Amino acid sequence: MPFSVFVSDDHCFSSEIFDSEMACLHDHSCEDHDCSADWSLYKHIDISKVTALNEAVPGSVKSVFKAWEQRLSSSEEHLESNEGDPELLVFIPFTSDVKIKSISIVGGADGTSPSKMRAFINRDGIDFSDAESMQAIQEWDLAENLQGVLEYQTRYSKFQSVANITLHFPENFGGDTTQIQYIGLKGEATQLKRDVVATIVYELMPNPSDHKARAEGGGGLSHVE
Amino acid sequence: MVLEATMICIDNSEWMRNGDYSPSRFKAQADAVNLICGAKTQSNPENTVGVLTMAGKGLRVLVTPTSDLSKILACMHGLEIGGDMNLAAGIQVAQLALKHRQNKKQQQRIIVFSGSPIKHEKKLLEMIGKKLKKNSVALDIVNFGEEDDGKTEKLEALLTAVNNNDTSHIVHVPAGPSAISDVLISTPIFTGDGEGGSGFAAAAAAAAAGGLSGFEFGVDPNLDPELALALRVSMEEERARQEAAAKKAADEAAKQEKVEGQPSGSQDAAMTENVNTATSEADNKANDLMDDENALLQQALAMSMDDPASSHEVRDTDMSDSVADDPELALALQLSVQDSTKDVSGQSDMSKLLADQSFVSSILSSLPGVDPNDQSVKDLLASMQSQSESQQKEEEKEPKEEEKK
Repeated sequence: MPFSVFVSDDHCFSSEIFDSEMACLHDHSCEDHDCSADWSLYKHIDISKVTALNEAVPGSVKSVFKAWEQRLSSSEEHLESNEGDPELLVFIPFTSDVKIKSISIVGGADGTSPSKMRAFINRDGIDFSDAESMQAIQEWDLAENLQGVLEYQTRYSKFQSVANITLHFPENFGGDTTQIQYIGLKGEATQLKRDVVATIVYELMPNPSDHKARAEGGGGLSHVE
Repeated sequence: MVLEATMICIDNSEWMRNGDYSPSRFKAQADAVNLICGAKTQSNPENTVGVLTMAGKGLRVLVTPTSDLSKILACMHGLEIGGDMNLAAGIQVAQLALKHRQNKKQQQRIIVFSGSPIKHEKKLLEMIGKKLKKNSVALDIVNFGEEDDGKTEKLEALLTAVNNNDTSHIVHVPAGPSAISDVLISTPIFTGDGEGGSGFAAAAAAAAAGGLSGFEFGVDPNLDPELALALRVSMEEERARQEAAAKKAADEAAKQEKVEGQPSGSQDAAMTENVNTATSEADNKANDLMDDENALLQQALAMSMDDPASSHEVRDTDMSDSVADDPELALALQLSVQDSTKDVSGQSDMSKLLADQSFVSSILSSLPGVDPNDQSVKDLLASMQSQSESQQKEEEKEPKEEEKK
């Protein structure tokens, strides 16, 4: 099926450069407030619970989630994989269910940008062997996107209620390590929260005064006075 | 309180029959495992621990990660020794067991006990280490038993491959009197990374340290605080008493040396001896007198601690009861005590007097049958100084003999 190169302000069409997946190019001068408002899904990420596997510096994955304007600022740390191993696995939980429209990745220079991306939805505890054997919900071939102008669209119907997303980057463009400077998510957040037992309090002995759940009067039983 | 799932890999190969760790390598290892399990489950109620054996009939997972300590301890029971350890397979199976843990929020950790020689290549171990690091699994290695050349090197290489930000550790336990568990208690394997460690770990460490190095008096204050306190107090009392006695002697020595030379020094030595004997006598007295003399005893002790010079009075006090029915004896004693007291205080004066030739000669002339110009008398004078010292001793001996009666 022939694809035509057709880029406009309003919406993007698939281009022949990027074969099967849909990618989009911003040709309009990106007014900051416009674009940054779109890429605001990072506010709904539960940053403290973001983890990555095979990262060289533990905890550095948290630095790649920032505002659109700061996507190119390389002064802060970025996510880098271990020496000689380009695979990366990033687990992103959200504070509420979100709908993801598209994803943008800014990689590193000299072949350290990831070349493939695979996504898994609502599965936690995925490690590399799981990622390799499981069928991803969607896969993309990435291009080197140092300016951060490329975005990769999702099959929106499958990304409707996302509590967490896992991104697997199996390969890069030949570099020794894989570097990621920025991961941007575009979409909208619903206000639905999944039930999670956040804090557990352990009791040695039951203390009824701590458990004033029922109303004082009646104690839950119905009385016929 | 890190939330962790731990797999412990036990070496139950034939090499564990050796007795260079008491009672046997295997038993020492089992103790260490029990201790670690207890510490892990105590530090966080949601921690899970699992156990697998690397040798025996084959690699076997005895218990999958569980928080039930009794299950773990039960499965440690009745383990058989035999076969050869397979370290690589053991670590990989442990990793698999951790992968399928129920609570994915737990950090993964493997603890390996390596007692037999390692037949794998260093490269293979490094690859395994890298895989563990990639999946963020921490690894603790307990190196004991066989000291194969290359074994330590291989294990160190494995550790460097796995180690990510100091979450993995290696401990070498040499053969000797200290058990594996005792050595482990002070390591990060037991106390947890960087935190203070659980209460269990801290208490165990304190107890072990007490047993090993020996608390003062060999009694753990945690176990028996009253006994430890009593021992400490009595030790301090004795020390204070001795210090006071020594100080007094030193003071006396200083005082005497200003006035007189060597002789006074010797006199003071006698004095010190006297004081010491008096002190110890007072002690003996104290011991002899039973509970009904308690008040007296307290007084005696207090006095002996404060002022050894006044030990004479102490003696006097102690003896007063025993010789109450013998007035003559009492009188004699009192006189001698007074004399000696006088001697003490008037020591310097007496020495001065003795030194004064004219005074001495006047005294001598007043004595019947003594010619002051006689040579023997002069010799006597010269030895007068030493005489007074022996006089002193005699006086002290007298009351002592009387006491014994």
